Amino acid sequence: MNVQSAATRSFSRRNFLGLSAAAASVPLLAACGGGSATQGGGGGAGGTVKFWDMPWATPAYNDSAKKIAEGFSGANNAKANYQIIQWNNFYQTFSSAIASKTGPAVSTGGGFQAFQFEQQGQIAYADKVIEKLKSNGQFDDFLPGVLDPFKSDKGYVAVPWQLDMRVFWYRKSLFEKAGVSLPTDWPSLLEAGKALKKVGAFGFATGAGSGNNYGNHSMIMMMVNNGGGVWNKDGELDLLNDRNVEAIEFVRELVSNGIVDPAAVSYTTDNMSAQWKDGKAGFGLFQVNVPQRVGDTSGDLLVADPITGPHGDKATIVFPNNIMMYKNTPSQEASEEFLVYYLGQLKELWKQKLMSALPVFKSITELPEFADDPNNVKIVKDWQPIAKTFAAQGSTLNANLAALDGGQALNQFSQSILTGQASDAKSALQTFQSGLESVLKK
Amino acid sequence: MSSTTATSGLSRARRGVAPGGSGAVPGKRKSKLSAQTTRTFFWLLLPSVVLLVLIHGYPLIHAAVQATHDGDLLQTGNFVGGENFASVLSSPAFWKAAQFTLWFTIVGVFGSWLVGLGLALLLRTRIPAGNTFKVLLLLPWVVPIVVSSTAWNWLVATPDSLIPSIFRGLGLGTPLFLADPTLASITVMVFKVWVSFPFMMMMISAALASVDTTVYEAASMDGASKWQQFTQITLPLIARSTYISWILMTIFCVNDFPTIYLLTGGGPVSATTSLVVLAYRTVFQDFATGPGVAIAFLMTMTLVVISVILYRQIRKSSVE
Repeated sequence: MNVQSAATRSFSRRNFLGLSAAAASVPLLAACGGGSATQGGGGGAGGTVKFWDMPWATPAYNDSAKKIAEGFSGANNAKANYQIIQWNNFYQTFSSAIASKTGPAVSTGGGFQAFQFEQQGQIAYADKVIEKLKSNGQFDDFLPGVLDPFKSDKGYVAVPWQLDMRVFWYRKSLFEKAGVSLPTDWPSLLEAGKALKKVGAFGFATGAGSGNNYGNHSMIMMMVNNGGGVWNKDGELDLLNDRNVEAIEFVRELVSNGIVDPAAVSYTTDNMSAQWKDGKAGFGLFQVNVPQRVGDTSGDLLVADPITGPHGDKATIVFPNNIMMYKNTPSQEASEEFLVYYLGQLKELWKQKLMSALPVFKSITELPEFADDPNNVKIVKDWQPIAKTFAAQGSTLNANLAALDGGQALNQFSQSILTGQASDAKSALQTFQSGLESVLKK
Repeated sequence: MSSTTATSGLSRARRGVAPGGSGAVPGKRKSKLSAQTTRTFFWLLLPSVVLLVLIHGYPLIHAAVQATHDGDLLQTGNFVGGENFASVLSSPAFWKAAQFTLWFTIVGVFGSWLVGLGLALLLRTRIPAGNTFKVLLLLPWVVPIVVSSTAWNWLVATPDSLIPSIFRGLGLGTPLFLADPTLASITVMVFKVWVSFPFMMMMISAALASVDTTVYEAASMDGASKWQQFTQITLPLIARSTYISWILMTIFCVNDFPTIYLLTGGGPVSATTSLVVLAYRTVFQDFATGPGVAIAFLMTMTLVVISVILYRQIRKSSVE
């Protein structure tokens, strides 16, 4: 029996070309495919407001948020249904659904998503919601400055509901072991880092591996902490300003002194958490609720004081996560009514200790469930007032920030600094600026 | 026994011919179908063809539209002709990604083939618990890539992970397998080989199973050594499967997103960014839909060319 000839007969050129064309078209399908525009049942008609929410915390968060959303009962028997949208390819999910008019009426989402969809004419402005918040007293309950970044020339693009804050944390026992004081400014940060290195810990813990943006945030935070930022006050790219150059030169100094973990460039957020838990991270930028996140609630992990830049500036970065309304809704009034209702119920999420972010309402920061944690209190008292958005040195958020946050230009920049590949700060910033310009042109 | 006798014996053996025989003549049967049968075939095929056109045709056309327009995922912008292709082709990032994709594919295809071939030959011999081994060896292919990439991450990511610790213990320093650009590239390729060799092993095992053992007996009788049997009987007889597995693995490697993205995200500093990762990042992180889809188009065209070349090899091997 000749095996080859049998195989030849059963495998023609046409069959083969068909098979290869189908297989080879996979990247095209992946790049342009419709994704999974999954729909919540029963939405879009009959006064049911479709509310899409992200997995902001553990599944218990989504269970609780669902209960709140489905507890809505508005005028004309308006109801709401709740659907979780996974972070994986979320922008594609939203885009596909919105394009096919099957998207949500109200949603949470990416930090700058509202501005992206506003640019495409899909967002319903929230001015009437703000008016209602003014009349029911909630407007005055907002923490200072959290609402302003959402005000565009045409109106409020979205309403903030939680603050994803970046603050410095430290491990107290490592500082005691190293016999060094907590840093208060850049020179003392350098000295503390050198002392921590001697006890086998890192004084500027960060990570820039797959899906981890803390490395990017650390870079921007240091620029902002020095009075700089990616943009100027008019919202134009301004990466090469002297303050940024100075800040990045300082980070390079931290890297060259071994104060940054040489493997940090590849760390995922899980790797970073492990470094904190294992006592390898002595000081570094992280989110709210680090002890809970890394699984060390012994009291050894504490929020540090903000540090002062060489010119006396003191600042950090914050991502004000927001709730947006879309034009595609069964009733704009119902969407607005739902949003006001939902904002009024947010305290339940913090009461149940489900959130890993700061609330936007003062009244929630005063809840015992929140205020019992001294780290939370310190963040609200010392860090929130000096927090600036990614739009710094400007103040208004916009769609361009989506291409900055998590985009290739910033990733490349951060990784080139963390690996020590960048020959100097200015050329690294120049490359960053060129990369960002090419993306923003498109 | 002279080498001439051994060579002619091997030649006969490859054809599956006993000494003295003439072998089967590979006949070409031209089927002549009646017009009615042709019509029946046409109508039976039509639903599948329509379905295939809908499934593949629409996204392809949509992708072509996006690649030649600016705009974003939600709204196609102005027609820009070949501008997106030109900007992609003039971008150093594209060529860097293409270079990595080439190496990743070469190592992925031939690395997994060599390991798969070795293990397939080993499993062909009588070893204790051979079937259990076979199942265990399939695990890298069977386990979801999210799980295996997490496991690999924990093995190599930090200086205190297991593998760097072993290196340190052996006095070989502390290699940063994912943080050093060169080591990260090598690690990703080794990971790909590890994930893919079971597929190759299965393909080759299946091909080897169809080889008549009497062929080897005939070759032995003609005095062929084990190495001669391997190079002049085994390899030629599994050539068809080998080429097909190379084609498939080439497509798998070029299109492989999760292996790279989950382990390194394409870093550090783009060292492990392949074309498919670059396309993803361009569309979904830079929100530049046109250039991202243009990259995907270029990949597809390259894959078709490679596939056709390899297919010709298959035909050539069958003629020989």
